[in-house]
Amino acid sequence: MNDCVKAIDVSNLSLGYGSSLVLKGVTFSVKEGDCLVIMGGSGCGKRTLLKSLIGLLTPRSGSILLEDRNLWESSIKKRKEILKSFGVLFQGGALWSSMDLVENISLPLREYTNLRNREIRELARYKLSLVGLSGYENYFPSELSGGMKKRAGLARAMALDPSILFFDEPSAGLDPITSRKLDELISELKQSLGMTFVVVTHELASIFAIADDAIFLDADTQTLLDQGKPAYLVENSMHDRIRQFLKRGLLSN
Amino acid sequence: MNESDHTSIFRVDGNKKTGIEILRSGNRARCRFFGAWLISFERKEGINRDWQAFVRKNQSVESYNFEFGDELRWDSSLIVFLARVSKDFLREGKSVETERLPQGARRLLDLNRISSDSISSSPDRNEVEGFSQGLMGVLDFIAFFGEWLSSLVMAISGKSSMRMRDLLEAAKSCGASALPIVTLISFLTGLTMAFVGSVQLEKFNAKIYIADLVSLAMVREMGALMVGIIMSGRTGAAFAAEIGNMKLNEEIDSLRTFGISPMEFLVLPRTLALFLMAPLLTVYADVVGILGGLTVGTQVMDFSSLHYFEQTQSALSSIWEVFSGLLKSLLFGLVIGMVGCYKGLSTGRDSAALGKSVTSAVVMSVTLIVVCDAAFEIIFSYLDLR
Repeated sequence: MNDCVKAIDVSNLSLGYGSSLVLKGVTFSVKEGDCLVIMGGSGCGKRTLLKSLIGLLTPRSGSILLEDRNLWESSIKKRKEILKSFGVLFQGGALWSSMDLVENISLPLREYTNLRNREIRELARYKLSLVGLSGYENYFPSELSGGMKKRAGLARAMALDPSILFFDEPSAGLDPITSRKLDELISELKQSLGMTFVVVTHELASIFAIADDAIFLDADTQTLLDQGKPAYLVENSMHDRIRQFLKRGLLSN
Repeated sequence: MNESDHTSIFRVDGNKKTGIEILRSGNRARCRFFGAWLISFERKEGINRDWQAFVRKNQSVESYNFEFGDELRWDSSLIVFLARVSKDFLREGKSVETERLPQGARRLLDLNRISSDSISSSPDRNEVEGFSQGLMGVLDFIAFFGEWLSSLVMAISGKSSMRMRDLLEAAKSCGASALPIVTLISFLTGLTMAFVGSVQLEKFNAKIYIADLVSLAMVREMGALMVGIIMSGRTGAAFAAEIGNMKLNEEIDSLRTFGISPMEFLVLPRTLALFLMAPLLTVYADVVGILGGLTVGTQVMDFSSLHYFEQTQSALSSIWEVFSGLLKSLLFGLVIGMVGCYKGLSTGRDSAALGKSVTSAVVMSVTLIVVCDAAFEIIFSYLDLR
């Protein structure tokens, strides 16, 4: 266990908004090259956890290490360096609406590298072709469908070849075929680029398809109930709630 | 031509070499990539130039075999390079062998190859001509006004889905909440007019007429105009932003699916509130403006307050002076509310469009106010109402 490198290491994390506490005592780690799924019912703090992992929400206490670096205790320059090492796909794609797709992907490249214009455009075009959006370079986000926006968001998240990718509900609002294609794309990228993935979802089909590891958050106890591979948890978890969560889907499959 | 030779193309970054090692034998070339082919490596352009020079010099080479060195660090910038190079070779009828590449890199290359076959297209944004677009805008606005009138009739006959609470809420936010800014602006307007006027009137030794000047100008013209301009920037913009944001969030659509007309539910309370509040604010602005004049009159020109007020009273002997200003302000209120709500409802689908509609709501309502004001003055003078 000790010889595998931890991409993310969270220990004893507490999170909350204002005076209300959402999560407490959360401890888990993600191996490099793994795909971790954060699951749990609505309102259990999945999104909150994700927000603090990607640096949008200050933790109350505890620490988050991304590749052994702490985002919250770094100087501004160091922080930029860490921010560069991961990409985020937001739920609706969160593309910048005043720019076309190539510009959307070029912006981080321009910000962080000194590449020439031609190279940047070439890279942006390549990223778009990776997600199957060749030919849509000059479209504006408002001219795309939901699934295309999401894929374009993925291309942008991968702009800087990050080593960790965070996904916020990748399959929300997509039809089953499109969402399965997205799952396949995730596995494909994981195998070819060796990236680490953290996916927030409660789509059971996705969970079983992509997860190497999963953590289950619980709204009642406000903490992490269990960690393990979903296929293992579904039969062997000590917690009824988790087995129930994962089985409901199997029955309805 | 069967001899073999060895070429190395590289650039040094820090103390590490990054580049390609090419072993040519006859018409085959083995290219081995080494170093750190990363996005952050900035000297790829130089390698690219050298590489192209090599390819030009060695036209006889027909088959290129790519492989990665053991210590190579790479990311998508190398894949982009490989994809570009192999596309050029394939076009020239040369063969490219990628079997020796690691599986991950080969897969990424294939992914790129499949999808780059799809047709390249550009969205057709046909630019509607300015004139017809403008005409459509006017027609739209007329339709909007018609719908507003019919929902007003519904509201008066008590069959509307407008909630009284919304009306009061809107009245509070565009009326009472605007008092501080209206106070400041109209006081300073009255003050400024008194200062400017006093210099001129002093020449005729008619300084006391400063009270006439300030009160008539405030009541007839400046009170309504200033309130109108404040309301356009403050309330009109807020209406456009609020309703536009609701449209972006599909809140308007969800109202429609419940059979609730956004016109009755959103537009009517806001426009009516502004319509009712604008004259009240104007009366208030008139009074404060006159007090601004009084401040100059008593503090700078040494008139007594009583003297100043008596002069003001005689200037405003006809109530029509006040009414003409209020009549204007009623129309201004209506125009601002309508334009703000119309721009909000007709906003586009993204946040850039929202910004544009808020801006154009303010610009359009200020323009319309000034135009209406001029129209009023012309009509009044032809009807001998002055």
